[in-house]
Amino acid sequence: MAFDKMELRDIEVWDGNFAAAQALRQAQVDVVAAYPITPSTPIVEGYAKFLADGYVEGEFVMVESEHAAMSGCIGAAAAGGRVATATSSQGFALMVETLYQASGMRLPIVLNVVNRALAAPLNVNGDHSDMYLGRDSGWIQFDSYSPQEAYDLNFIAFKVSEDHDVRLPAMVHQDGFMTSHTAQGVKTMDDDTAYNFIGDYKPMNDMLDFDHPVTYGVQTEEDWHFEHKARQHNDLMTKVFPKIQTAFDDFEKLTGRKYNIVESYDMDDADVTVLCMGTSVETAREVAKEMRAKGIKAGVVGIRVFRPFPFEQIKEALKGVKAIAVLDRSAPGGTPGAMFNEIAGALYNTDDRALLSGYIYGLGGRDLTKAHLVDLYTELQANVDAGKVTTPLQQFIGVRGPKLAFL
Amino acid sequence: MQNNGWDEFEIGAMLRSFDGVAKDIPLKQPEDRNYSSSNSFTASVADWRIEKPLFNKDYCIDCQFCWIYCPDMSIIARDKKMVGVDMDHCKGCGICVEVCPTNPKSLLMFPEQADEEAELAGWPEKDKEEK
Amino acid sequence: MSEIKKIKNLKDFSTSADRFEGANLLCPGCAHSIIVREVLNATNDDLILSASTGCLEVCTAVYPYTSWDASWIHIGFENGSTAVAGAEAMHKALGNKGRLKQPDRNPKFISFAGDGASYDIGFQWISGCFERGHNMMHVVLDNEVYANTGGQRSSSTPIGSSATTSPAGRVSYGEKKNKKDMMAIMAAHGSPYVAQVSPNKWKNMVKAIQHGMEVEGPVFINAVSACTTEWKFAPEDTMALQDLATDSLVFPLYEIIDGTELNITYRPKNVVPVEEYLAAQGRFKHLFKDEYKYLIKEWQERVDAKWDYLQKREEARV
Repeated sequence: MAFDKMELRDIEVWDGNFAAAQALRQAQVDVVAAYPITPSTPIVEGYAKFLADGYVEGEFVMVESEHAAMSGCIGAAAAGGRVATATSSQGFALMVETLYQASGMRLPIVLNVVNRALAAPLNVNGDHSDMYLGRDSGWIQFDSYSPQEAYDLNFIAFKVSEDHDVRLPAMVHQDGFMTSHTAQGVKTMDDDTAYNFIGDYKPMNDMLDFDHPVTYGVQTEEDWHFEHKARQHNDLMTKVFPKIQTAFDDFEKLTGRKYNIVESYDMDDADVTVLCMGTSVETAREVAKEMRAKGIKAGVVGIRVFRPFPFEQIKEALKGVKAIAVLDRSAPGGTPGAMFNEIAGALYNTDDRALLSGYIYGLGGRDLTKAHLVDLYTELQANVDAGKVTTPLQQFIGVRGPKLAFL
Repeated sequence: MQNNGWDEFEIGAMLRSFDGVAKDIPLKQPEDRNYSSSNSFTASVADWRIEKPLFNKDYCIDCQFCWIYCPDMSIIARDKKMVGVDMDHCKGCGICVEVCPTNPKSLLMFPEQADEEAELAGWPEKDKEEK
Repeated sequence: MSEIKKIKNLKDFSTSADRFEGANLLCPGCAHSIIVREVLNATNDDLILSASTGCLEVCTAVYPYTSWDASWIHIGFENGSTAVAGAEAMHKALGNKGRLKQPDRNPKFISFAGDGASYDIGFQWISGCFERGHNMMHVVLDNEVYANTGGQRSSSTPIGSSATTSPAGRVSYGEKKNKKDMMAIMAAHGSPYVAQVSPNKWKNMVKAIQHGMEVEGPVFINAVSACTTEWKFAPEDTMALQDLATDSLVFPLYEIIDGTELNITYRPKNVVPVEEYLAAQGRFKHLFKDEYKYLIKEWQERVDAKWDYLQKREEARV
């Protein structure tokens, strides 16, 4: 190998972007085709710099748009090698066409999505609009709440995505700025340990195997399209979670860091629960502890794998809970909120159907404060005490002006 | 393959051109290739034709104009000789007849149902009008 | 490096074994197929191919059939060039890392796209690929119309052509804008080789393709593709139309090396009047009405002026 290993301290102070860039380096990604967009740019800048400094070997293709970035990734992945890129927001939106093409062709690609709001109005800060935009694209979607997790989940993503039983592309999400630009202590793996966790890329149906020509991207009409989409959905539903669980287990053995498909905090005896994603999980965990000191049995559920949607794991995590607040960090566009709907769907046929209310928060990077969460837990406890939802089903948190609530 | 269920094909709707290892394909004519059942070579568009080209070897000079200008890989050329027409893949466009330089032409279009033997027996004479 | 395939004459060429197969769904008499054959048969090297959405793509990879004997990918309408560029980057990466399964091969990376997918929707992607200098060839199957979707105008559609979105009518002669000069635009990218070719001049075309395959960097080929369906002529006349296109100089055959050195590669012995080219196609039928005949004259003047310009460029060597 014509590149040098990098000596890392056991704990480095990295922001989420640099953590992801280091993961791409340690994964020895063969091709990165990328286009810059705030706040994800430093990830691919990091790969480019590692390349320039001789700490990784590969091809960095600096393309002319995010659409071309994913197009190049698709061509590279079909050719047969390890491929990754990063994007956010508008760039993600421009990529959407190709996201479906990547997953439909069953190509393993790791896409770091540094979550950011979607215009208009233009906004560079973190919310989950872009993550939600990808939710039907047939990709696996991991969500990280901190730089450490952004680092770790990249390795998990490569391992699961490239597994021959899976062969589906995977996104690793982190919150724009809150995670991507906030430096924290990150426990590292040395280069060999990190690379060996994923292992060598194992080609499958690779275009560059000239003795086995393959055709990618066929046309199917009403006679075949349904079967192919059904196959993809089947594999998402049945094959991905066992592989993720195995990867999480192996990763825990290797590093001691434990991940779950659905993360539960203080949930053993919780009456009231906040369910959310991203950095808000960490804020909620702190507030839940404080609420417990006040006598409210508060817990937090965080979604670690957004797609495939952990329907069964959610039911298990929320068993016995009396009131749940589902937090959606994306403009709902005329519905109660995507996560609210999915949680409602998961719980509808359960015996102990908890009181469910939805909250829209944090759009365009608006802070979710501890005070907001204290109010929220208090509302949930009031619902428990009343035996019914006492507030409107959908409320907005932290928006200026008259109280905004619906349903 | 036509009735395969959703669980019976390769993921990603990926298709293989050949069964097994395919070496030196540019040097192998169709008869020496191991086409997979998903290679369109194994299919036929013969039913597209209204008219078919018939080949009269007697007048052919093996110029290969028909071979190079055939849009359907249907002129069979072997060892620099014109051998015949692949009637599974010919769509009956008639380009081969138009580009044939012999007089009379070595390829002519006939109704799909025409009898080859009879038409060859009654092949037109040299046309004095043509240059 | 592999050897260039020796093709002295048509008999030589006819020993080629096609890597593009029959029972594809292209129209009878479609020139796309003839172009693809001449490109693929110009080499015996391995191929990595793409097609952007369009006639060629929808007619050659309709599940459960493929007409391609080399690895081929289609992503979307606009990004076939970038698909090949991605594969080329991977080939390079794996080559440098010593991980190619067959490191001794010398694959050619070729993307095929129609004029719509090249001049219009895929323009930015092609521009990006050329600016970055991928070692690839982009071949435009230029039939001057969105044929796959039923004949809408593209920026390659010439003045006076009746397309479904620029139809000739009681008060209109059809398309009002002149064709985009992609050759000049791609040459301006600094491409080492751009060429306009036509499959009727097969030797000229194969020479251009082989030249393009030998140079390092992104090569642009604009191939004239007579469309029986949208140009409205009988399928058997495809090659006659290609001859009219090249011999009327409506499609002059020329190459530009390293962005500047222009060579005319074919000079018709007898130049055919543009009127004959137009008269052979239903899409220009309305131009022969009295009120539009001036457009035919203007057509001829434009073609003459362009030919004059090309000759001056060739002479000037700049």
